[in-house]
Amino acid sequence: MDVFFQQLINGLSLGGIYALIALGYTMVYGIIELINFAHGDVYTLGTFFSLAILTLLGVDSVVHGPALIGVLAVTILGAMILCGLTGVIIERLAYRRLRNAPKLAPLITAIGMSFILENLMLYWRGPSPVPFPQVIPNPQFALGAVTIQAKQIIVVLLAVVLMVVLQTFVYNTRLGKAMRATAQDKDAAQLMGIDINTTIALTFLIGSALAGAAGFVSGMYYGSTWFFNGFGAGLKAFTAAVLGGIGNLAGAMLGGFLIGLIEAMTTQFISDQWSNVVVFSVLVLVLIFRPSGLLGESLPNKV
Amino acid sequence: MLLEIENLVARYGRITALNGISLTVGEGEIVTLIGANGAGKTTTLRAISGLVRPASGSIRFDGREIDRLAPSEIVRAGIGHAPEGRHVFPRMTVRENLELGAYTRRVRSEIADETARVLDIFPRLKERYAQKAGTMSGGEQQMLAIGRAMMSRPRLLLLDEPSLGLSPKLVQTIFVVIREINARGTTILLIEQNARQALAVASRGYVLEVGSIAHSGAASSLAASEAVRAAYLGGAA
Repeated sequence: MDVFFQQLINGLSLGGIYALIALGYTMVYGIIELINFAHGDVYTLGTFFSLAILTLLGVDSVVHGPALIGVLAVTILGAMILCGLTGVIIERLAYRRLRNAPKLAPLITAIGMSFILENLMLYWRGPSPVPFPQVIPNPQFALGAVTIQAKQIIVVLLAVVLMVVLQTFVYNTRLGKAMRATAQDKDAAQLMGIDINTTIALTFLIGSALAGAAGFVSGMYYGSTWFFNGFGAGLKAFTAAVLGGIGNLAGAMLGGFLIGLIEAMTTQFISDQWSNVVVFSVLVLVLIFRPSGLLGESLPNKV
Repeated sequence: MLLEIENLVARYGRITALNGISLTVGEGEIVTLIGANGAGKTTTLRAISGLVRPASGSIRFDGREIDRLAPSEIVRAGIGHAPEGRHVFPRMTVRENLELGAYTRRVRSEIADETARVLDIFPRLKERYAQKAGTMSGGEQQMLAIGRAMMSRPRLLLLDEPSLGLSPKLVQTIFVVIREINARGTTILLIEQNARQALAVASRGYVLEVGSIAHSGAASSLAASEAVRAAYLGGAA
């Protein structure tokens, strides 16, 4: 039972990272029905950007006290801003012109964009794993036989806080309403006076910024990254988005945490090598019995 | 003239949808555009709203060229559009749909006044206020589409087939409402399949045939014209 609770903690931390990435997939899909395959690579870029910022700040080991909060804030916000801008540039350069093209064109472009980012990162940081400094003191708390690390709490906390902020933004602000309107009906949104180009750019900005935050968290959590890291993580986060119901924010969060938990539990109770098989089997089963995902709405888009 | 369209040409790829049409709408008028399916009625409204870029010709609103403006700027200039097929936001409530209709407006008290006015015209929407628009009946969605277009307090309201698919009783209601909106000071350009009703409510009309204006004039004389009666009013009834 202790092992179960230990894996529950591990799975939730892992899931927090997947959930943050999944939000970007689901937001972009929700608004322009594009599976942005480059999104996983934006997440890896987030880790590299964080690393670059830490290097600029001259931080290469554990920081204590108030300075830690400053370092964390600057690094996370910096990575979010840089990734956000990367997302906006990708949309502007690669996807906007293809908005009215057949669906396959932007999809192939997204795969191409993914290759471009991966190779840029390969060129920038080389083919080997790059170590990520341990900046936070990582005290461990024992709950009976279960150990919780401080960084696990940070991962889950950051994921939950960012999701609450996002949810509030999307449902309670004017721009958030504009995003939802654009997602539901682009022509009608324009007739309301909404500038859909700006709204779509904003969606890429936010989704990519969340991937940036996930990138930082992943560096901190795993202690290293490499240029190809986003491929596998991106695929699982995308699975999480589909599992929860693509286009649905709460679904992406739920899916992310579920995938993290399934992965952790499979690794523990079956075997490490089976974790991907189980994760994707769950996806297949959900799609067979609930094609719109766990929280996906079956209300038709157009009546 | 509030709206002046001159020699408007619009194309979808190689297909010409509008072949140089000209029409005007004066302040305070109800003008109707009638014609068969595919004649270019919807394209005309979409061109006015900026959803379709004209290939050539000009559209002036209140003396200002609007044919190069983005749709969002055209809304701000004072044109509201209730599109064909209603296009309400299905996963949003009636309230949110109306709020989005007022997207270009900032003054809360004015938005509240406008909401009250719309709910006064369509009491049904008040009953459905917290309901998701996608779960409402076609007639209710149509009321919402019109109400939503009124929320920007447009000087010119474009209505595309507001009676399509509604029960005869609801059709009557919609036409009463169109008169009422107009009586409260909004100019209306109305597209209708139901030519008889449209000509009854409008002061002037244009008949569109495959991308060109075939007839135009006072609504009463169009309704009396043999050619129009034969083609659009079900013969010499």
